[in-house]
Amino acid sequence: MPERVGFRLLTIALSGLLLAGCGGSAKAPSEAAPSKGGTVTVAIWQEPNTLHPYYGTQTVATVVWEVAIEGLVRPDPEGNYVPVLATSTPTLKNGGVKVQGSGMDVTYKLRPDVKWSDGQAFSSADVKFTWESIVKDPKVSSREGYDKIESIDTPDPLTVVMHYKQIYAPYASRFQWLLPKHILDGVADVSKSDYVRLPMGTGPFRFTEFKSADHITAERNPNYREKGKPFLDKLIFKSVPSREVALAQLKAGEVDVMWNLLEALLQDIQNNPDIKLNIVSSPTVERLELNLAKPGNPADPSVPHPVLGDVKLRHALLLATPKQRLIDKLLAGKAKPGNSMLSIGFFAPSLKQEEYDPKKARQLLDEAGWTPGSDGIRSKGGVRAHLSVASTTGDKVREQVEQVLVDEWKQVGIELEIKNVPSSVLFGSYSQGAARKRGSFDINMYASSPEPDPHQDIAGRLDSANIPRAANNGIGFNYNRFSDANVDKLIAQAGQTADQEQRKKLYGEILKAFNDAYTNIWLYNRSNIDAYRANVSGYSGNGWENLTWNSQNWSVKR
Amino acid sequence: MVGFLLRRVAVSFPLLLAISVVSFLILNAVPGGPLSAYENSPGITPADLQRLEHTLGLDQPLHVRYLSWFAHFITGDWGYSYATQQPVLQMIAERIPNTLYLMGTVYVVTLLIAVPIGVFTALRQYSAADHIVTGVSFAGLSMPTFWLGLLLIILFGLNLRLFPLGGMASAGAGFDVLDRLHHLVLPVVTLSVVGVAHYSRYLRSSMLETLGLDFIRTARAKGMAERRVVLVHAFKNAALPIVTLAALDLPELFAGALVTEQIFGWPGMGRLFWDAATRADYPVLMGVLAVSASMIVFANLAADLIYAYVDPRIRLA
Repeated sequence: MPERVGFRLLTIALSGLLLAGCGGSAKAPSEAAPSKGGTVTVAIWQEPNTLHPYYGTQTVATVVWEVAIEGLVRPDPEGNYVPVLATSTPTLKNGGVKVQGSGMDVTYKLRPDVKWSDGQAFSSADVKFTWESIVKDPKVSSREGYDKIESIDTPDPLTVVMHYKQIYAPYASRFQWLLPKHILDGVADVSKSDYVRLPMGTGPFRFTEFKSADHITAERNPNYREKGKPFLDKLIFKSVPSREVALAQLKAGEVDVMWNLLEALLQDIQNNPDIKLNIVSSPTVERLELNLAKPGNPADPSVPHPVLGDVKLRHALLLATPKQRLIDKLLAGKAKPGNSMLSIGFFAPSLKQEEYDPKKARQLLDEAGWTPGSDGIRSKGGVRAHLSVASTTGDKVREQVEQVLVDEWKQVGIELEIKNVPSSVLFGSYSQGAARKRGSFDINMYASSPEPDPHQDIAGRLDSANIPRAANNGIGFNYNRFSDANVDKLIAQAGQTADQEQRKKLYGEILKAFNDAYTNIWLYNRSNIDAYRANVSGYSGNGWENLTWNSQNWSVKR
Repeated sequence: MVGFLLRRVAVSFPLLLAISVVSFLILNAVPGGPLSAYENSPGITPADLQRLEHTLGLDQPLHVRYLSWFAHFITGDWGYSYATQQPVLQMIAERIPNTLYLMGTVYVVTLLIAVPIGVFTALRQYSAADHIVTGVSFAGLSMPTFWLGLLLIILFGLNLRLFPLGGMASAGAGFDVLDRLHHLVLPVVTLSVVGVAHYSRYLRSSMLETLGLDFIRTARAKGMAERRVVLVHAFKNAALPIVTLAALDLPELFAGALVTEQIFGWPGMGRLFWDAATRADYPVLMGVLAVSASMIVFANLAADLIYAYVDPRIRLA
């Protein structure tokens, strides 16, 4: 296609001129007035199962529906909930939250200028309908929080009063997506309606086409409340087979945007003048998860792990882990050493970072009575310091990290064996006998991303009630099999505290106790890395959100 | 002949039934399960999980679930995908045209290239051209499609920028025949290379065998034109194994190419199967397997019938 090559050369020449003219300032494009119109194509490499915001659990689906569906509030880049369709975020201080006996009332005032993308007025009835759908529709994935609401009053079209049965601290994290009552009311089975593929909302775009495994098209919403926005006419989500192909297509200009790059892929495009990277700290933390219980199927949490049951040995493992070196060598320096499951946001605690110190690690192991054998591997009371680590197969960075650990830990006298499994097995279910759920492992390596309100994540991972076992249907993420009565108490207390400062203090105590028990080695805090063609502008990063959170501000120069 | 047909069709039903039972058991034995994605999502409570399990019918014993699937299946209700909530039949109907379009082109291209090569190399046995073509064929036969596909993408897509890197059409563009053909080239080349090598080798050996037979010598002795000897007398007989092969490859037209569709981002049946497999979407997997299993049974029957038609020596009874 000669025209295309010619056009490309022209664009390259032009962008070269532009850059020369601006003295190489990378910020130049955003200063100019955004151009109107045009289409931007975003590469996605997982198929969104459904675009119903309360079915399913895929992040990629959120990336897509977020251009059309909005809610009452949303997290800003600092992790604070800011109003979207509400006029303010209710708090104790501004009177939006009132404690009523053992329960609480949360009052939202709605913006008056909001319409659904079909032109119908948006009102408090839609908020109430959203709640009713969530607690009634059997296909909804999670009812967490919504099931703690007793009733919702709508005294006028712009006021919603939610009566919670108990104090529910993470109330602001609910109602982030609203459903249109006038479309869905009376539909017998929403899962079989068109809404699951072409949902309608109040956001800057509306969906017009869903071609499975091919592309999803969203067009400009003419009824969007911000005047003159969105700038783009069309957003297309193009389905590509993998992240690597997305990157190749981005380089070739077949797509304009891709999300969720890996640090290891950056080398390839860092110096490409056609591509701009947007890197923001994200809540995702990569961890080594240590099993405190003796591996079993299922493990009995009251019987300690023969090797990892020793807190000094766990401490030594942390000291023998060169976090900064891993980041510099394997992640292109684009991450920070971790020290907690909450790395950013209002609730992130300030905890001590223990530096890499293999000498001290050896000393601790000596003190604890782990003596080196003839091959240098330690043992105590006939138990050899042999551990295995499981991560997802095919993840190059994780495999390299494991190899470094095998080497480093061997130098302090601990033998590590790599036993990786496909991600579907590592993250498998209790009923299918997955090692993580059942507790039949030593160490797992993977990443997790807490929500801006960390209660679910902290309770799910630290509360002893959430150790997966037959009695609770294998639910819960306390894979460490960590059990501390005081922590359990503090978690319950934090979950029922409406004062945010007080909650922050409680979570800080909880996470410190968790770290003092050396339950996890927090390897590194990941960043969200998105990449854009140089002619796209207006985007900005938000580690708590997804790529498309501010798509109304995107524009493209063609 | 009719008796044969009836008997074969009658036998194929229990066969398909057995295939469906085995598939169902194997799918359910794979670790993971349709709810594993939910289990690992924060905010899912035990009550949520129990409710979802019940909604999808996963709390029923295995045999009850199979019988219920089967009872619906034979009435034309193939169920709903666990993941997308779409009717399975509709999901398959969306993908079949795309797969037919890709695999049909591959099928035609393969035969158009393989047949002349097979005949030519047989006629010029041990010539320089034969050695070259034979060498290339073996290279093609031993080339894994995932590797060849990636190689073509890197060379012609990334470096030379001659062809798009994937997909069936440019995103956002309307229907455009040239654009469609442009996207078709690399996947067709990838899939045809193996097919051409395969078919031409078969045809070459079969032609060589036929050309050495007495009736060919007789035809030549009668002074018949070489063209006629080769194309009419020899080729028609030598084509028999190719006909069988081509008929047996027919199911691929519907089943699609798992790996190649994945590499090229082709929205076909192979990719549907792959996506459904990664999320343990049993209803979709069973639907796709039912289509391909029936096609295989049908193609085997077709191969037998065609064989009898082109070779009168074979009697079906």
